[in-house]
Amino acid sequence: MPSMSTQRTNEEWLNDLNASGEIQDAAITDLRDLLLRATLYFFNRNQGDVAGMDRDQILQCAEDCTQEALIAVMNRLADFRGDSKFTTWVYKFAINRALITARRERWKGKSLEQLTSFDSKTLTEWSLQDRSSGGLPDQSAIQSEISDTIWEVIERELTDRQREVLIMMVFNEVPMDEVVQRLGTNRNAIYKMLHDARRKLKHRLQARGFEIGEILALFTFQR
Amino acid sequence: MKHHRFEKWLRNIYETREEEISCTECFDLVSRFVELESSGQDAAASMPQLRQHLDQCRACRDEYETLRDLRRLGDESGLPSVDDLRNSLS
Repeated sequence: MPSMSTQRTNEEWLNDLNASGEIQDAAITDLRDLLLRATLYFFNRNQGDVAGMDRDQILQCAEDCTQEALIAVMNRLADFRGDSKFTTWVYKFAINRALITARRERWKGKSLEQLTSFDSKTLTEWSLQDRSSGGLPDQSAIQSEISDTIWEVIERELTDRQREVLIMMVFNEVPMDEVVQRLGTNRNAIYKMLHDARRKLKHRLQARGFEIGEILALFTFQR
Repeated sequence: MKHHRFEKWLRNIYETREEEISCTECFDLVSRFVELESSGQDAAASMPQLRQHLDQCRACRDEYETLRDLRRLGDESGLPSVDDLRNSLS
């Protein structure tokens, strides 16, 4: 029966993991147990992501993620600065592996075309306030202008890559790690593309005189 | 994308800053952020760039929320055992 991990202080964790022989073995066993529990905790909370896998597959997947997280932690031990509990720090590695795996699992079967398809008419529909909520005629005109401005930026100011990534992630809700995998890149590069796109959108909207307060007042559902 | 998501996206656009931290920097700092929160401090005030990244980045935010919830379970004995967690997967 697996044992509950021995409680260690941060210092004890580092000492034991950096030791040798039985002390190190015991620490690694306890560390692996914690990482596995964090991984399983994540899968429990995100069962929708792993719905396509049967229970045995999920459990095997958890073991694989745990192993990857363990290697990552041991490689990065020297990076631990003590600004959190050691356990909080190691949980990060488990959660990160679990999330990447789970999110990608859900999107495995889809074609790149499905991920990138989008129609500008949809943008207009989504941005227009529900008429039955009694929006004023002026509001619809301004809402259209805003969504037209956004579409113009998307069509003309974004690079092809930025446009593709924005459509996938913002409109089609493709998870970041799926985009990373499909485009053969990394999270930082994707984040930067989206950041650049947001900056362009913000600058253009502000240049057209649309400030945040008034825009959100127009678009917020009447509550 | 439903209407409320469009609204959220507009907010994200307007809350864009010229300089934002990367996902790697966020990963590096998020355990400290969670620790500050769990000790009752205003983590967002101490680490505003991190908070802003979490608002903009769903992947990092989802990881943060799980980390926060794990931390709230207290020490290691608060986290369910491997057997319990395996059994609760349907």
